[in-house]
Amino acid sequence: MSGAADSLPSPVNARPRRSAAWLHEPLLVGILLLILAACLVLVGLKPAPYVVNTIGQLAVFAILAVSLDLIWGYLGILSLGHGLFFAIGGYVCAMHLLSHAFSATGVAPDFVQFMGWKTLPAYWAGLTNAPYALFLAMALSGAVAFVFGFASFRSRVNGVYFSIISQALVYVAMLLMFRNDTGLGGNNGMTGFPLLFGYPMGSAAVTTGLALASLGALAAVLVGTRALVAGRIGRRMLACRDDETRLRTLGYGTTRLKLGIWCLSAMIAALAGVLYVPQVGIINPRVLAPDLSIEIAVWVAIGGMGRLGGAVIGAVAVNALKFWLSAAMPEAWPFILSGLVLVVVLALPNGLLDFASLRTKPTWLRNGGGR
Amino acid sequence: MGPMAEFTRRGLIGTAAALAAPALIRPAWAAETVKLGCLFSSSGTMANIEGRLNYVVRMAADQLNAKGGVNGRQVEVVTSDPASDWPLYAQIGRQMLQQEKVAALFGCWTSVSRKSVLPVVEQNDGLLFYPLHFEGEENSKNVVYVNSPPASSVLPAVDYLMGSEGVSAKRFFMIGSDYVWPRTINKILKGYWASKGIAESAWREEYVPLGFSNFQTLVNQIRTFAAQPGGQPIVVLTVVGSSIPDFLREFANQGILATDVPILGLDMVEADLEGLDTTKLIGHLNCWAYLQAAKGERNAAFLSDWAAYVKAKNVPFSADTVIDPMVSAYDSVQLWALAAAKAKSFAVPEVRKAFAGLSYEGPSGYTLTMTGENNYVSRGIFIGSVNEKRGFDVLWQSPDAPKPVPFSPYG
Amino acid sequence: MAELPQPVSFLVRGVRVALALILMVSASMAQAAADPIDRSALARAVCSDGAGLARGADDVVRSAATASADDLAFSGSILRALLDRRLACVGDTSVLLDRPGGSEGRDAATGATRSAAGARSPVLGLRQRGLVETGAGVVALLTGASTAQRSAGLATLERRAAAVPEADTILERARAAETDAVLRAAIVQAMQAAALNAPEPARRRAAIGAIADAPSSAARSRLASLRTDPAYAADPAFKAALDAGIARVERAVTIGDGLALSYNALSFASILFMAAVGLAIIFGLMGVINLAQGELIMVGAYAAYGVQEAFRMVAPGLIDLYLVAAIPVAFLASAGVGIVVEALILRHLYRRPLMSLLATWAVSLFLINLVRVVFGSQNLQFGMPSYVSGGVPLYADFIVTWNRLFAIAFAAVTLAATLLILKRTPLGLDIRAVTQNRDMAGALGIRTRRVDRLAFGFGSGLAGLAGVALCPIYSVNPGMGATFIVDSFMVVVLGGVGTVVGTVVAALGIGGANVLIEPFYGAVAAKVIVLVGIIVFLQRRPEGLFVARRRR
Repeated sequence: MSGAADSLPSPVNARPRRSAAWLHEPLLVGILLLILAACLVLVGLKPAPYVVNTIGQLAVFAILAVSLDLIWGYLGILSLGHGLFFAIGGYVCAMHLLSHAFSATGVAPDFVQFMGWKTLPAYWAGLTNAPYALFLAMALSGAVAFVFGFASFRSRVNGVYFSIISQALVYVAMLLMFRNDTGLGGNNGMTGFPLLFGYPMGSAAVTTGLALASLGALAAVLVGTRALVAGRIGRRMLACRDDETRLRTLGYGTTRLKLGIWCLSAMIAALAGVLYVPQVGIINPRVLAPDLSIEIAVWVAIGGMGRLGGAVIGAVAVNALKFWLSAAMPEAWPFILSGLVLVVVLALPNGLLDFASLRTKPTWLRNGGGR
Repeated sequence: MGPMAEFTRRGLIGTAAALAAPALIRPAWAAETVKLGCLFSSSGTMANIEGRLNYVVRMAADQLNAKGGVNGRQVEVVTSDPASDWPLYAQIGRQMLQQEKVAALFGCWTSVSRKSVLPVVEQNDGLLFYPLHFEGEENSKNVVYVNSPPASSVLPAVDYLMGSEGVSAKRFFMIGSDYVWPRTINKILKGYWASKGIAESAWREEYVPLGFSNFQTLVNQIRTFAAQPGGQPIVVLTVVGSSIPDFLREFANQGILATDVPILGLDMVEADLEGLDTTKLIGHLNCWAYLQAAKGERNAAFLSDWAAYVKAKNVPFSADTVIDPMVSAYDSVQLWALAAAKAKSFAVPEVRKAFAGLSYEGPSGYTLTMTGENNYVSRGIFIGSVNEKRGFDVLWQSPDAPKPVPFSPYG
Repeated sequence: MAELPQPVSFLVRGVRVALALILMVSASMAQAAADPIDRSALARAVCSDGAGLARGADDVVRSAATASADDLAFSGSILRALLDRRLACVGDTSVLLDRPGGSEGRDAATGATRSAAGARSPVLGLRQRGLVETGAGVVALLTGASTAQRSAGLATLERRAAAVPEADTILERARAAETDAVLRAAIVQAMQAAALNAPEPARRRAAIGAIADAPSSAARSRLASLRTDPAYAADPAFKAALDAGIARVERAVTIGDGLALSYNALSFASILFMAAVGLAIIFGLMGVINLAQGELIMVGAYAAYGVQEAFRMVAPGLIDLYLVAAIPVAFLASAGVGIVVEALILRHLYRRPLMSLLATWAVSLFLINLVRVVFGSQNLQFGMPSYVSGGVPLYADFIVTWNRLFAIAFAAVTLAATLLILKRTPLGLDIRAVTQNRDMAGALGIRTRRVDRLAFGFGSGLAGLAGVALCPIYSVNPGMGATFIVDSFMVVVLGGVGTVVGTVVAALGIGGANVLIEPFYGAVAAKVIVLVGIIVFLQRRPEGLFVARRRR
C-alpha cells in the first residue's frame, strides 16, 4: 500500500547467496559466538547449578522464539498456538523420563497409581528408548501441525483469523489435558523425574549436560533456519509474506511453502519442549494456556521479528528479566512487561533491533484488516 | 550492522549481569539475618487467596524479630510472585534455595504447585512448609505437611453429616474441579462408603474444569438427584477457587436450602463468601483445621494482630477475614522457629531432627505436635456452618488433635 | 379451635384428657391433645444443648395443631429469632434482640428488658435447623399476619411433610382460619396430597391427582414409590389412577426439563453475546483483535461496584437501584478507557493488526494488575437487590432464576439498542459505511479516524455493560475478564465479522450446543466438542456464518 515498503531495504539481500550465507549476518555470528562462550563458561568455570539451569532454560526459550519467528517474521503467519507444539515435545519427553524411571526403579508414576492403573498404558510402549521418544515428539508435533495447517492454508485462513483459530486450538488442547480422564496426569501433569539416561536428575553433570545440549540445539537451529531463510525458499517466504496474492498470480503455489515451514516451525518448538521438561522437572497443561503462547509472540516482537537473532534476544531478555523480577520485584514485573511491550510496539516497531524493514505489511491489511 | 551487533552483545552481557544480581541485592546484612522464602502467587488465578499468605509469613517473622529473632539472628522474609504458573514455582524455589540460601520455604496452595517444587527441595535438601490441606498419599522428608490429610480431616465431617446429629445422609452428589485433590478425596470417600456397605448407586460424581462458572445445568442435576428416593442427599463440593462462589450463588438462586440438601464444601473458606449474600446459604458446612470463629485468647490475639498488621502495612486484603491456610502459614513459621531454636541451627538436617516431639499452641486453640515418624502435623478439626455474616460458626470441633494419617486406608 | 374463648377451650381440652384417660388410648393420642406449649420450657430449651433445642422445636411442631394462637405466636417469635440470629443466651435464659448482635433485648420468658452482654448465640446444627425451620413455617402458616407469610409457611410445611406427623390436622386448622381464597385452595390441595396414605381408596386416588397437579421430580419419586404398595396390585382403580398420575407427572417433568434446558442455553448465550458484541463491532470495523476486551468487562463490573459504594454512602435507601444506575456509569467508564487506549495506542497501529493484538494484550496485563494493586485481588462484595437474587419455580422442575433473567433481558435490550444505533443514527451509518468500504467512506468525507475512535469507545462501552450484566452471576475480581476471551472470539469469528446478527446467532448456537452436550459428557467435554466443531467449521468457511457485505 504505502510506497515505503518498496523503498526500504529487505531484511535479506535479494541477490542469491553463496552457501555460507549465514556468515553475512553479523548479529547471528555474534549470538553464535556468545553461545560458544556460554558453553566454555559452563564447562570451564562451573557456575552455580542455578545459573547453569537458568542458562539452559533461556536457550530453550530462545529456540521456541526462533520457531515462532520463522513462521511469523518470515511468512507473516502469527500462531497463537505454538504452546501446543512445545507441549507435545514436553509431554513426550516427560513420558520418556517416567517410563525410563519406571523401568529402572519399578515404581509406577504418581498419576498411574492415582488413576488406579497397574502399569503404563499401551501407547507408552517403547518410550524408554530415547531416540524413539525424540522421533515421536517431532513426528507427532509435525503431524498435528500438518493436519491443522493443511486445513487452514488450503481454505486460505490468514492473518488474524489464523491467529484466533490457533489460539482456540491450544485452548482446546489445554482443556483436554486438564481432564484426568485424558491420562497424562491431568492438571498435575507429570513431575518427579528421578533419572536422565540413568544419571540422577539434579546432579551437576546432568544439569550442565542439559544446558550444553540446549545451547547446542539453539546453535544448530539458528544455523539451520538461517541457511533456510537466506536461500531460495527464504526469498519465496518473504515474497509470500509481503504479497501472497501477487506471488500466486505469478504462478507460485504458496500452500506447500506455508505448510512446510509451518510443520518445520512446529517441530522446532517440539524440540524446545523436549529440552525444557528435564530442566524444569514438570510438564502440565499450563504450557497450553493461551497466555503462554501470546507471550512467545511478545518475546519475538520485543526482540525484533523477522530476524532470527532478534527472536533469541527477545526470548532471553524477557525471560531473564522475568526470572529476576518475579523474585526481586514481584509487584512491578507485570507493569514492566506491559510497558515494555507498549514501548516496543509503538516506538520500536521492529523490536530491540531498530530495523525498519517491516514497518508496513500490505498483505495483512488486506486479508485480516478488514479494509 | 556493526553498531547493532555491538548493542546486542552489550544487551546480553547486561542480562547476564542482571541474572547474577539477586545475590548482590542485600549483601551488607545477609550475614546477620536468616532468610525465609515465600512461594505464594500474588497474581494469576490463585492470587485472591494465595496472596494473603505472603503477608502472614511477614507478620509472623516480624513477631519473631520483635522477640529477638531466632538463634540470635533476625528473620528476613523473601517474597516472590510465581504468578500461578506452576513451573515458575520450581524455578523460583530453586533460586531461593541456591541463590538466596533461604533456611526454609513456605509456599504452594494447589497440589500441582507442590508437586512442581517437590523435586527442587528434594534435590537441594531444602525444607518446604506446605500450609494447605491436601490429598495426602505423599510423604517427603523435605516437605512439612502443616495441614491435614483427608483421612484425618474430611472423614469426620462426612461422618457428622451421616450421623443423626447431621442429616443422616444416605446419598452423595460429589462435584469437584477436575484435578488430583478432588479426585483423590472422592476416591477415598467412595472407598469409605463402600466399607460401610453403601451401594454404588447412592453416589454420583461430576467434574468441572478449573475456573468453571456456569453451574446452572449441574445444579439442575443436583435437584433431580435430590428428588430421587433413597434417603437424604448431600453435596460434597470439591471445586476450588472462583468456582466456589459461583456454585453457591447458583445453588441458592435455585432455592435449595441447607436443610434440603446441605453442601459440604471441603475447600470453602471465609474468603470464598466475601462477595456473596449468605442469608440463603446458612447452614452449609466446611471442615478445616482452623476457623475464624475458633474460641480462645490465642485466636483473639491472632485476629487483632492481623487486623493491626493490615492497617499498619496497608495490606490489600480484608482485615477481618482470616482463613485456615493463613493460620497454617503462621503456624508454619512458628514451628520452624521452634525447631530451629531447639536444634540451635538453621541447617535443614538439624532442624528436621528437631521436629520430633515438637509442640506448639496455635491460634486454633489446639496444641500442634509433630513426631519423628513423618513430617505431618497433628491438628484439631473444625466443622463450620455458614452464617449470615459471610463467615462460619463452629458447629463441631474435635476433642483433641488426632494423629494424621498420610496414606488413606480407603484409597 | 384457636378461635374458641379460653374457658371453652379449656373445657374441651379437659374433656379430651378425661376421655383419653378413660379410653386408655395410645400415648401419641394423648400427645396430640397436648397441653399448651410450655413457654418457659421452650425458652430454656433453645438455650440448652443441641438435643434440647431439637426437642423444643419438635414440641412446637407436634403441638401446633392444637396450641393456642398466643402460644403459637410466642413459639414463632422464638424460632424466628433463632433463625435470624436474634436470639441470645445468657446462661439458659433466652433473650430476644431487635437485631443480630444487639446489646440488649427482652427476656423471652418474662418480657423484661435484659442486657445481652456476654451472651452466646446458639449455632444450629443441620438437624436442629431443619426442625426450627419447620416449626417456624408451621407457626407462620397458622398465625402469619400477611398472606405472603402464610403461604411461605405452607411451602415449608409441604417441603417437610415427612417431618410433621400432624400435617393434616395442621392443614385443616389452617384451612379453617384462612381468609385468602387462593391460599385456601392451595391448602386444600396440600391436604389432598397429604392423604396419600389415608385408609379410604377414594381419598388416596384424589391424593394422587393432587400430587400430579403439582408435578416435579420429587412428586414423581413419591408416586413411583407407590408401585410397591399392595393396593397397586390389588385395586385396579388405584393402579389406573397411579399410572395416569405418574404419566402426567413424567410428561410435565420432561416439558419442564426442556424449558430449563432452553433457559440455560438462552442465559449462557446471553452472557456470550454480551461479552462478544463489543468485540464484534471493533473487530468488524477496524480488524483489531482487542485482547483487552475481557478487562473492559472487568472495568464495567468495577464501575458497578463504585456505583454501589456511592449509593451506600449517599443514598442508602435507594441502594436496590444501584444496578440500574450503574448501567450508564459502566458504559461510560469502559468507553472512556477504550477511547484512551485507542487514542494513545491503537491509533498508531491500524496498519499492523498483529501488533495491535500484542498491544491490547499488554493493555489487558496492565489493567488487571492496576486493578489488583488498587482494589486487591479478592472478590468484590456486591449486595444483590431482590430482583437479581433467588428465583421462582415456574413449571415442574423449571426454576427461573432472576439473575439469569436479568442477563437475558439485558442482552435483549443491548441487542435492540445496538441495532438501533447502527441502523438509525448518523454514527451507525458512518460505522457501517467505514466497515464496508473504508476508502470510499473517506472519499465521501466521513472522518474515518473519528468514526474509529467513537466505534471503539462504543464497543468498549458494550463490554462495560457486560460487566454490569455479569456481576449478579459471576464473581468480580481482577482476573474475571480473562475467562471470556477465547469464547468471545469464537463467537465473533463464527458469526461472521461485522454482523451483529451473526454474533447473536453464533452466541445462541454455541450456548445451546454447550448446554445440550453438558449433561451427557460433562462440562469440559462439552466445551472441547463445541470448540473443535467451530475450528473445523471455520477452516471450511473462514468468513463465518454470515458474511457482511463489504468491499475489500
